[in-house]
Amino acid sequence: MAIDMSKYRDMFLSESREHLQTMGRLLVELEKSPDDREGLDALFREAHSIKGMAASMGYRATAELGHHLEDFLSGFRAGGAIPPTAIDRVLAGVDLLEGLIDDLSAERPERDVRPFIVGSTGAAPPSAPPAPPPLADEAEAVGPGNGAVTIPVASGEEILKIVIELVSGAVAPAARALLMLRELAAQGEVLDADPNERKLLQGGAVPRLELRLKSWRAPQEIKDLLLAMSDVARVSCVVERVRPATRQSRERTVRVRTGLLDQFINLTGELVTNRYMLQAAYNEGRDQDMRDGLERLTRLITDLHHHVLQVRMMPLASITGRLPRMVRELEQQTGKEVALRIAGEEVELDRSILEALADPLMHMVRNAVDHGIEERGEVLVSASREKDLVLVEVRDNGRGLDAEAIRRKAVGAGLLSPGQALRMAERDLFPLICLPGFSTRAEVSETSGRGVGMDVVKAVTEQFGGTLQIASERGRGTSIQLRLPLSVAIIRLLLVECGGELLALPITRVLRTLELERAEIRSSGRQMVVPLGNELVPLLSLRRMLRQPAKPVAGTIPVVVSEARGRKIALVVDRLVGQREAFVKSLAFPLDRIAGVSGATILGDGRIVFIIDPQGLLDEGTASGGRSGVSP
Amino acid sequence: MTERNIGVGLRVLIVDDALFMRGMLKDLFIKGGHEVVGEAADGREAVEQYRRLRPDLVTMDIVMPLVSGIEALTEIRREDPEACVVMCSAMGQEALILEAVRAGARDFIVKPFSEEKVLETARRVAKRV
Repeated sequence: MAIDMSKYRDMFLSESREHLQTMGRLLVELEKSPDDREGLDALFREAHSIKGMAASMGYRATAELGHHLEDFLSGFRAGGAIPPTAIDRVLAGVDLLEGLIDDLSAERPERDVRPFIVGSTGAAPPSAPPAPPPLADEAEAVGPGNGAVTIPVASGEEILKIVIELVSGAVAPAARALLMLRELAAQGEVLDADPNERKLLQGGAVPRLELRLKSWRAPQEIKDLLLAMSDVARVSCVVERVRPATRQSRERTVRVRTGLLDQFINLTGELVTNRYMLQAAYNEGRDQDMRDGLERLTRLITDLHHHVLQVRMMPLASITGRLPRMVRELEQQTGKEVALRIAGEEVELDRSILEALADPLMHMVRNAVDHGIEERGEVLVSASREKDLVLVEVRDNGRGLDAEAIRRKAVGAGLLSPGQALRMAERDLFPLICLPGFSTRAEVSETSGRGVGMDVVKAVTEQFGGTLQIASERGRGTSIQLRLPLSVAIIRLLLVECGGELLALPITRVLRTLELERAEIRSSGRQMVVPLGNELVPLLSLRRMLRQPAKPVAGTIPVVVSEARGRKIALVVDRLVGQREAFVKSLAFPLDRIAGVSGATILGDGRIVFIIDPQGLLDEGTASGGRSGVSP
Repeated sequence: MTERNIGVGLRVLIVDDALFMRGMLKDLFIKGGHEVVGEAADGREAVEQYRRLRPDLVTMDIVMPLVSGIEALTEIRREDPEACVVMCSAMGQEALILEAVRAGARDFIVKPFSEEKVLETARRVAKRV
């Protein structure tokens, strides 16, 4: 029986992309040290893996190209070094493979690889003419090793053909068969059964039961389930046909450590235990045990959430793979010499954050090479953990940001009055480069002047409740720091009340909460400030930012200290309510257009609470010319 | 693996008009690590005890005086559609077994019982809660 491979397609696609990224990285490294034997061997293995996977999937052109590259590389392996021309050729091959993967992903026919393969003279070492790639026979040689399994996020429904034979002396076989039908109906949809339910209800002898079941369960699971039932002699359960791959082919896959899967099972077991304990306590009215049980349940859910988030975690390496190649291309285009260093590639972030971060990261690196580095220099991409946050930094040792140019541009674009611009400190000018359409370059450069801009980098960062900071020094370089939460979905919120509304701030944006006495407030010009440590922090009214009526101050003043544009701000609220863990949903159109609101959550009592983003509110206030400060 | 994690035994209600059958089933369940929370000698008592105890599992004799096992099963399922009731029957009661399954019995065991079969059935049937 032929195995239907279509359900492995997505795994194949994602793993091939990983292999191609690795190949790109290895090639760039090999260009710098062409006699790196291990690198060359690794490159060969990558090509080999792609060939094997494609062959077992029956993707002929992809397998053929993989085979060709493998063959091409094997010639250099013998010599122990690879010349630059050959690297260019393999890079071109990798590009072509990427194109093929795109074709397969879009369910198009594979593009033609013959012209590439036939044109393989010149740099090629003497090698045997490429033989047609073997199909399917190497399937067992590939696939994920290292204790990880690749599971489809949602696998497809299959139609199982099931034949059950009952033991010969079974009592009430019709009743037994009915129980089996019922059990199977709980696992999927019973399509047709012989004998069917109506017949079984009449009783009589039932030596065997045949049926088809549409189910998400694996055949072995169904088989085990039936074999555990009484009076079952034999069960056969085979996949009849896979349902046409429609939506399922778009499902994405993740790799999960098997250890983590075991932990899920353990946690599930504990939850089941807990459920029984709670039920027992409830039945017998034991209040203390109910409370203990609920406490345990809280702990288990926290545990489960933690582990589920781990499944979603991926290392930064999954998006830095393309950077070396991009920098290499930029070097060729600009004639600059750039050393790219990547540190902390193993630091993990939530998949959705990483996916959103991929383009912004490329943009920042591109920017650093294009605008930062002059003749030669270094770009450092690094990631590190900072408590609940991950710090992603792109730093270069180039010319640094030109504060004067930013000042001029801001005045020219009408963002600042000449007076304002003059008074503004350098570090306050830097964030302006994140405004949409802001570029200090008169002309659009070939490399940085397209795709995403700094405004997108900032938007993506803030979408996940992160912050962006820019530091720069003339002649010393620029550093862009993104502080991002490790994971999304459930975050801790600080609830505050303001003008009768309940609002929330992500706890990652809260530095501290205070209750101020009137006497502690001072004024600096027209701005009220509060001294915190040796800083004077501007006091801003959340009511005013939200255009709510002002409230006369009575008693102590509750304040949330947050950060906006890299500086501390103290937000005056009506009341500090408390902290809460919440599942945050992003808002859909048109609510997503509201500046300063980054999402919403629903409280236990059904109330909807908007999550506010102080920086966004501040930007909104500045843009519309309104002053959001607290006037004396 | 999962089973060991469940740890806590089932809370069982035993319904049978024969004292010795109840005793035998009781010993068997206790030996299997479960808890026998109640015993009933007829269908009416079974329904009353179910209402009060809400056990995880009921073993129900089919043929009993006053209110039959099938009537009790129907009554219990009316109150709690999720109720796990396993019928106990003797050979030669195939029509009654079929009727019980139709009325929502989760499974049935046939006398003479094997200890293993009873415990296995209990575990399997009650797992699905």
